[in-house]
Amino acid sequence: MPRWSMVIDLDKCVACQGCSIACRMENNTPIVSPSEAALGRSMLWNDVFPLRAEEEGAIASAKARFLTRPCMHCEDPPCVKVCPVGATYQDDEGLVRQNYTRCIGCRFCTVACPYGVRYFNWYEPAWEDGLDQHLNPDRVEGRGVLEGPAVRPKGVVEKCTFCIHRLHKARARAEAEGRDFRPDEYVPACVQTCTGKARFFGDLDDANSTVSLLAQSRRAFRLLNEAGTHPKVIYLHEG
Amino acid sequence: MTTPLTRRQFLKLTAVAGGSAAAMGGLQAVLNATPAGAEEGLLAPSGEEHIVPSVCLLCPSGCGVLVRVADGRAVKLEGNPMHPINTGSLCPKGQAAPELLYNPDRLTGPLRRVGERGSGEWEPITWDEAVQIVAQKLNDLRAAGHPERAACLYGETRGQMRPFIERFMQAVGSPNAISHDSLNIEAAKLATYYTQGVYDLPAYDLENSNYVLSFGANLLEAGRTPQRMVSGYSYMRRGRAERGKVVVIDPRQGVTGAKADEWIPIVPGTDAALALGLANVIIRSGLADSDFVHNYSFGFEDFKDGEGKSHKGFKEFVLQNYPPSRVEQITGVPATTISRLAGEFAGNPPAVAILPGKGGLLNGSINGLYTAMAVHMLNALVGSIETPGGVLAQRYFPCADWPQLPPDPVAERGRTAERLDGAGARFPLARHAYQAVADHISEGYPYPVEMLFLYDANPVYEVPGGTRFVEAFQKAPFIVSCASFMDETAQYADLVLPEPTFLERWQDDAIEGLGYPGVGLRQPVVEPLYDTLNTGDFLLRVAQAMGDPVAGAFPWSNFEELLKDRLKTIGAEWETLKELGVWMIPGYRFARRGSEKWVAEVVGRDRMSSPRDGRFDFFSRELNCALGELGADELKALGLSQAGDAVFLPHHEPVTYAGNAEYPFTLNVITLMSLGPYSAAANMPTLQEISGMTVGERWDSWLEMNPEAAHELELRNKDGVWVESPYGKLKTKVRLVKSLHPDVVNLPHNQGHTAVGRWARNRGVNGLEILNPASEPATGLASFTNTRVKVYKA
Repeated sequence: MPRWSMVIDLDKCVACQGCSIACRMENNTPIVSPSEAALGRSMLWNDVFPLRAEEEGAIASAKARFLTRPCMHCEDPPCVKVCPVGATYQDDEGLVRQNYTRCIGCRFCTVACPYGVRYFNWYEPAWEDGLDQHLNPDRVEGRGVLEGPAVRPKGVVEKCTFCIHRLHKARARAEAEGRDFRPDEYVPACVQTCTGKARFFGDLDDANSTVSLLAQSRRAFRLLNEAGTHPKVIYLHEG
Repeated sequence: MTTPLTRRQFLKLTAVAGGSAAAMGGLQAVLNATPAGAEEGLLAPSGEEHIVPSVCLLCPSGCGVLVRVADGRAVKLEGNPMHPINTGSLCPKGQAAPELLYNPDRLTGPLRRVGERGSGEWEPITWDEAVQIVAQKLNDLRAAGHPERAACLYGETRGQMRPFIERFMQAVGSPNAISHDSLNIEAAKLATYYTQGVYDLPAYDLENSNYVLSFGANLLEAGRTPQRMVSGYSYMRRGRAERGKVVVIDPRQGVTGAKADEWIPIVPGTDAALALGLANVIIRSGLADSDFVHNYSFGFEDFKDGEGKSHKGFKEFVLQNYPPSRVEQITGVPATTISRLAGEFAGNPPAVAILPGKGGLLNGSINGLYTAMAVHMLNALVGSIETPGGVLAQRYFPCADWPQLPPDPVAERGRTAERLDGAGARFPLARHAYQAVADHISEGYPYPVEMLFLYDANPVYEVPGGTRFVEAFQKAPFIVSCASFMDETAQYADLVLPEPTFLERWQDDAIEGLGYPGVGLRQPVVEPLYDTLNTGDFLLRVAQAMGDPVAGAFPWSNFEELLKDRLKTIGAEWETLKELGVWMIPGYRFARRGSEKWVAEVVGRDRMSSPRDGRFDFFSRELNCALGELGADELKALGLSQAGDAVFLPHHEPVTYAGNAEYPFTLNVITLMSLGPYSAAANMPTLQEISGMTVGERWDSWLEMNPEAAHELELRNKDGVWVESPYGKLKTKVRLVKSLHPDVVNLPHNQGHTAVGRWARNRGVNGLEILNPASEPATGLASFTNTRVKVYKA
């Protein structure tokens, strides 16, 4: 079983937000109204945002910094521990998944997640006047219920799935072709679209995979590692 | 398959289990167990699926895309890995493109105005009627002997579309095919022409550069080809053993400056002085490429002309006038920094100095051209012209010659008329002066306009002081707009002809920015949604309806046929091009200095008046041919403060600002990666949602200001403010951005629409409304950065 992991090289990331929108188009996250967006309720599973710059020092030393942030798919995910109904769970390949049918919308997980990557559907998702024609028709099941890009109803929490439907599709393709599935046959949409080629994806259990090798880099770090979550998204420092 | 728990059942269960944490834990264990027989995996896809390659058109990068079409609907775009510009990547605009295709505010069929201009009252007509109306008008103009009174304003024309439109206007008999280039890339194109003798944007071999100086080029967000630059940047940073250094010279840091190793917040409008200061240090230190400057350039040393008159060369001019101590006073960049940057630039070959492919902070008064020349000369100085890691000359596929235009005395006379935009006349150095057309129509200069044809052109919104076009339209009896949306300009048209989006039409796309020749192909990825017609097809039908001799100039039955014919020489079968979406001759072939190929392709190939001798002009002989005869007064009228040899050498011209000391800030209208340059993108809700990432704004405009400047004005973050110039005022909110020169304020472009669609309309402000509407007097460039504003609490 692969242990899926993502490496993001912040030296190559140019904060273009291609990942955010590739994710939206792949996973059918709804557009929220301007007033909701102003409240910070945008449904971008992979948001890109500025980090607060230092206010002291000369102007030439002022440097804006940006971070792109998918779900960390923690080895020890706090969201799973707090879910009262087992709607969020970790599967055999280490992906932290969400069963929308079980979710009761209590939002314990959105509070427990130290990364803020869980999003609550305050409204019934809607696409105006035919804009829904581009919705991704892929349908995958986990534990007998729809997961992945199937549009989520109002009142549930949703999050980055590492594009689990793309994994399922890659597996199905391998099976149809009568061969074994290789871990490099699948990447999430954000990895594929990355304009700076800053994202890498693969199996952390394979010592020779790109992600394993990059995880050994002196530039490698994990967000809020001290929280004991053991994120499987690994960042590489700038410069 | 077991039935999953419904919420109601679950609530019953929790009631039974009680509220204690221990009980919760036990329940979770129960729930976590996968129910026996539960399905896991892919559900059978519901319909037929296929992938169609095409080329994006939401910015001028021209990225190859692979469109996933499921059940006849375009559901996802991915980058085409074969396409050399993006090699599989795609930015947020391209990713959001299905929102353009399925946008509910698109025009659905041709319309004819029935009410007053701008009243919004239309009646639907057929394409046949539209063709007849336009053909009749053009034939009437030709019969009256005034075909030049028809003019075409066009925006982004890709591939064959540009020569096709020019040919159409020529065949009709008008010189007025007027490009929007004067709003963006023209400064860089003119500078390359007046130095290197090539009228094109330089390409930059970033992948192999060790040192990059970016002069206001906004490389990673919204230059000419942002994705190409991001690809090159990413490779030079981490794709190879040695990481190249990037220095960004720009009053605004932006994402590009933030990602650079060093950001130089320069006084706006003084880039020329800095470039010449760098040249001064490089020459004084003996770091210039001696072979290049002495054997393959003109005017580096002092020289005598054919009449024995002495002229000043670049070297002496720069040594005398631009010592770092003086440059420090002009630019605000410390002399020590100037010396260090010069040493780094010349000492880390290959190094490259990059020009903005969009205005950036370069243009404003005549400074735009000289600044761009000064920057480009840095490349020549260190021998980076036509070297790996330096400047490449963009090559194209040789296309078959267009067939000879049929003999046509009416057209032949018409196309010799003076141009409506004043290019080559009122603006002696200009090739296009798009924004000036408004005033010229109002003035009746040089003749009245009878028919205005707009293709991908929204001048009412996209030029400084664009409302002048609304006034000008009163003097234009007949206006046709080809657009996908009812934009600010189409509202005032008499005929509105809906153009299919780039996902529904045939169009080629010349690949720019890598040097080697390449072509991408747009093809309809889905059946056109509405009663739209590719403008190429429309014009072909108009030509046929006009009859000979105009019809004889267009022997193609439709635009797809035209493309097939024009692209038959690229070395790929049409079917192969359709299948791959791209064709190229990868690998740049460098020309040796002074070789035949060098003369034919790299230096001097487009010169019209001065020798095509393969010499790079430090002293511009083309400028000398254009302006050499003018007296001091005439030069002054062209905005030039210098006289004599300085006119033909790059120099710093102080910017003439609109707005005196009362207006302390230079207004910089910035283009964002998210919304990009084109109006239609403002009506894509997902792009609106991510529009202001850098400051945390969405769906709105904002004004960026340095916190110290704001403190003096007692403004706090997010305060409502008025931004006022001598041309008007706008109300928005202020956002404090430390990484910004204190004398500059930034306002993002592509908000403040009054039309286009539900998501674009009445949202934020359009900074272009309060910019100086004047054009640069010599070059006809729009003045984007010579307007000052004051800011006060609203």
